[in-house]
Amino acid sequence: MTREIMYRDALREAIDEEMANNPLVFIIGEGIAERGGSYKVTEGLLAKYGSKRVRDTPIAEAGMIGVGVGAAIAGARPIVEILYVDFAMLGMDMLVNQAAKFRLMTGGSGRVPFIMRTQGGTGGGVAAQHSQSLEALFYHIPGLKVVMPSQPADAKGLLKYALRQEDPVIFLEHKHLYMTKGPVPEGEYVIEFGKADIKRPGKDVTIIAWSNMVPRALEAAAKLAEEGIEAEVLDPRTLVPLDKEAILASVAKTNRVVIVQEAVRRGGVASDICSIIQEEAFYSLDAPVEIVAGLNIPVPFNLELEKASVPQVPDIISAARRTLHLQPRAIAAQ
Amino acid sequence: MARPILMPQVGQDLTEGKVVAIKVKVGDKVKKGDIVAEVESEKASFDVECFETGTIIEIRHKVGDTATVLQPLMMVGDEGEATAPAASPAAATPVPSAAAPASAIPVKAAPQVVAASPAAAQLAVASGRSSPLARRLASEAGLDIRQIKGTGPGGAVVMKDVEAVRQAGPGAATVLSFPSSSPAAGGGGQGIKSLQQGAGDPVLFIHGFGADLSSWRPFVMLMNAGNPLLALDLPGHGSSQDGTVTGFADLVAQVQRQIEAAGLTRLHLVGHSLGAAVATELAGGGRLDVRSLSLIAPAGLGPKVNGDFVAGFLAAQSEAPLKAWLDVLVHDAARLPGALLRATLAGREGTRLAAQQGRLAEAVFAGSTQLFSIREALARYQGPVRVMVGDNDRIIPASYADVLPAHVALHRLPQVGHLPQLEAAGLVARLVSDTVRSAG
Repeated sequence: MTREIMYRDALREAIDEEMANNPLVFIIGEGIAERGGSYKVTEGLLAKYGSKRVRDTPIAEAGMIGVGVGAAIAGARPIVEILYVDFAMLGMDMLVNQAAKFRLMTGGSGRVPFIMRTQGGTGGGVAAQHSQSLEALFYHIPGLKVVMPSQPADAKGLLKYALRQEDPVIFLEHKHLYMTKGPVPEGEYVIEFGKADIKRPGKDVTIIAWSNMVPRALEAAAKLAEEGIEAEVLDPRTLVPLDKEAILASVAKTNRVVIVQEAVRRGGVASDICSIIQEEAFYSLDAPVEIVAGLNIPVPFNLELEKASVPQVPDIISAARRTLHLQPRAIAAQ
Repeated sequence: MARPILMPQVGQDLTEGKVVAIKVKVGDKVKKGDIVAEVESEKASFDVECFETGTIIEIRHKVGDTATVLQPLMMVGDEGEATAPAASPAAATPVPSAAAPASAIPVKAAPQVVAASPAAAQLAVASGRSSPLARRLASEAGLDIRQIKGTGPGGAVVMKDVEAVRQAGPGAATVLSFPSSSPAAGGGGQGIKSLQQGAGDPVLFIHGFGADLSSWRPFVMLMNAGNPLLALDLPGHGSSQDGTVTGFADLVAQVQRQIEAAGLTRLHLVGHSLGAAVATELAGGGRLDVRSLSLIAPAGLGPKVNGDFVAGFLAAQSEAPLKAWLDVLVHDAARLPGALLRATLAGREGTRLAAQQGRLAEAVFAGSTQLFSIREALARYQGPVRVMVGDNDRIIPASYADVLPAHVALHRLPQVGHLPQLEAAGLVARLVSDTVRSAG
C-alpha cells in the first residue's frame, strides 16, 4: 500500500520512526523545535520526543556541526539540520578534516554516524548566498557519503538507512522539493545507498539527473516521447556511493547520455560521471556525452536571470536531441 | 555512396594477384557487366567485372601492382563524388581549422586529387569522423568504417549509418580493408593481411624473429574462433623489407603504427617469441584496446637468448647449415617441415632480409642477451593472458616463465621446443581460441 505524501512529510516520518526505534537519535538545528523548522520537516517532534532530543541552537553552524560530529564519535546518532547548505561552509573543518577522516585515522575502530541534513539549489530569488548546489564539495572528500533524494519515497527510505549506517552522511534536500508529492509505501522500509533508480525507462538516450533536476528530466522525457524519442531517466539517488553499474548498463542500452546538474558546470559531479562513462563505456557511445549544468556564475537574484542560470526543461530536450544527431551541437560552455 | 570493385579471388589459397591491365580511368562511366581490369595469378589471368553502375571515382592500383584478393581495386560512385566523407559546409559548428587539411579538399576536385595521389586518398579517408559505437559495430561486422557514408555531425559515421549498411546485406558492404602489402606511404604502414574472414574483434598474429606472417597459415586452420584472423610482417621480415629498427621500443612503435594505419583499435593479439614480446608491450601500452593476449614462447621474460642460434641462423646460406640451426628450434627435428627450410632460403634470395634481420638482432639482442623486458607491461595488462612455452625450448629458457604475475595462465608443454604452435599445434590452437573467446 502506498499513499501520496509530501517530501517534507516523508522526511518527518523517517526521523520520527527512527527516533522511536533508537533512543540515540536526536536532532538539532535553527528553529527546528518550537517552530518545527523553516520547511516544517520537524513539526510535532518536540512534543513527541522532548527538548533533549529535539533542540534549537543559536545561529552558529560551526558549533552545531562540531557538536554533531563529536556526539557521533561518542556513540550517539545526531541529525544536524543546517538551514541552507551555503551556511555549512562554516563547519567545513569538522566535516572534511574530522568526520571524513576519523574512521581511517583510528584504524577503523572509530565510527562517525553523523548526519547533516540541509537543503540547496535555486528557489525563488533568494540570491547567491542562499541558492547554491554544493554537492561537488562533499563529493570530492573521501569518507563522506552524499545523498540527494528527488522524490518523497526516496527521501524517507534513504534517511532511514542513513540513520542505521555508521559513516558521516551529507543529506542534501532541495528547497523546491519539500512541497512536492509522491507515493510513499506504508510501513517499514529503507533504501540502501549506492542503488540508482530508473525513474522512467527508455531506449534512446539516458538522462542522468538527481535532486530537483529529476522532475525536470522527467518533464523533458515526456516531451521527447511526443516526438518518438524514448528517454531513460536515471536517478543515482546517492552520489557517494555512486551506482556505476546501473549507469553503465543504461549507457550500454541507449548509447547516448545527457547528465543534468543544477550546480555550476566547472568541477562538477556531472563531469566526473562523464569521465567514468568515457573510460568504461567508450565503445558504447554513439555521440559525445552532453552535460547540462548551471552557468559558472554566482546565482543571480533577479528571477529571470536565476532561471537562465540553471538547467530548464528545454535545455535538457535540446541536449537529448543533440545526442541523437537531430540538431547541431552547441559550442561547449566555458 | 562509393562502392568498391574488388580484386577477385584468383585461386584457392592465393591471397594476391598481379594487375596486368586497367581498362578504365577516373571519370569513366561504367555499368554492370563491364570489364574494368585484368589480373593474373601464377596460373591464369582473369577479367575483373564491374557489378555496379556509376562513375569510376578512384583507382587504387596501377598496372604491375600486386593486389590483395577481396580488397578494392577501384571505387565506383556518382559523378563528382569524393571517396571520403568531406565535411559538409552546411554543418552548423565550424570545425576548428587544425582539423582542416583533409576535409578541406573541395568535393569537385576530389576525383583528380584522389587519383593522382594514393597517399592523399589515404589521408582523406583516415580523417573521416565516426562515433566510438559506430567504429565498434563496424569492426564487429567486419566492415570498413572508412567506406561508410556518415550522416552525423560534420559527416561523422554514427550507429544508424553502420546499421543501414549491415541491413543492406552482403554486397553493400566493403569487407574490412587494410593497406596492401605493396609499398605503403610513410613507412610502417605495411602489410597487415587477412588470413581468414570472420566476425567480431580481429585476432592479429605477430610472428617471431626470422619468420614471417605466412608461417601462421597452417596454424590458423586449426583455430576455432569465428573472429577475423590477421597477421603482419615485422620490420625486416616477409614483405616488410625496408626500414631500420633502432631498438625494442622502436620495434614496438613501428608495429603500433602499422596497426593504427590499418584502422585497428580493438583486437586480440597472438605472438610468438619476439612477436609475443611486441604483443605484450602493445597490450600493456594502453593505446590499443587489446581484448586478449596469447603468448607463445615469449621473449622478454629474462636475459638469456641463444645467441649462437641467432648468429648461425642468419649466417647460413645453404640448406645443410640452415637445417642444423633450425633443428635447434624444435624438440624433435623430425617435426620440422622441409618447407620451412626452403621458404627461409627462398625468402633470402635476392633480398636484404638476412641483412635487415641481422641489424634487428643487434638492436634487440646483444649476443646472447635480450635487451628488453616485458615484465612490467605484462603486469600492467589486465585482460585475459595465456603463456605457452615448450619445456625443451633451446632458444629461450622455459624456466623464465616459472615466475609470472598471478593473473597470467601458464602452460608448460612437455617434449616441445621453441615452436609450440608447430610442435603442439592442435593444443596451442585450442588454447589460443579459448583465450580469444574468454574475452567475450
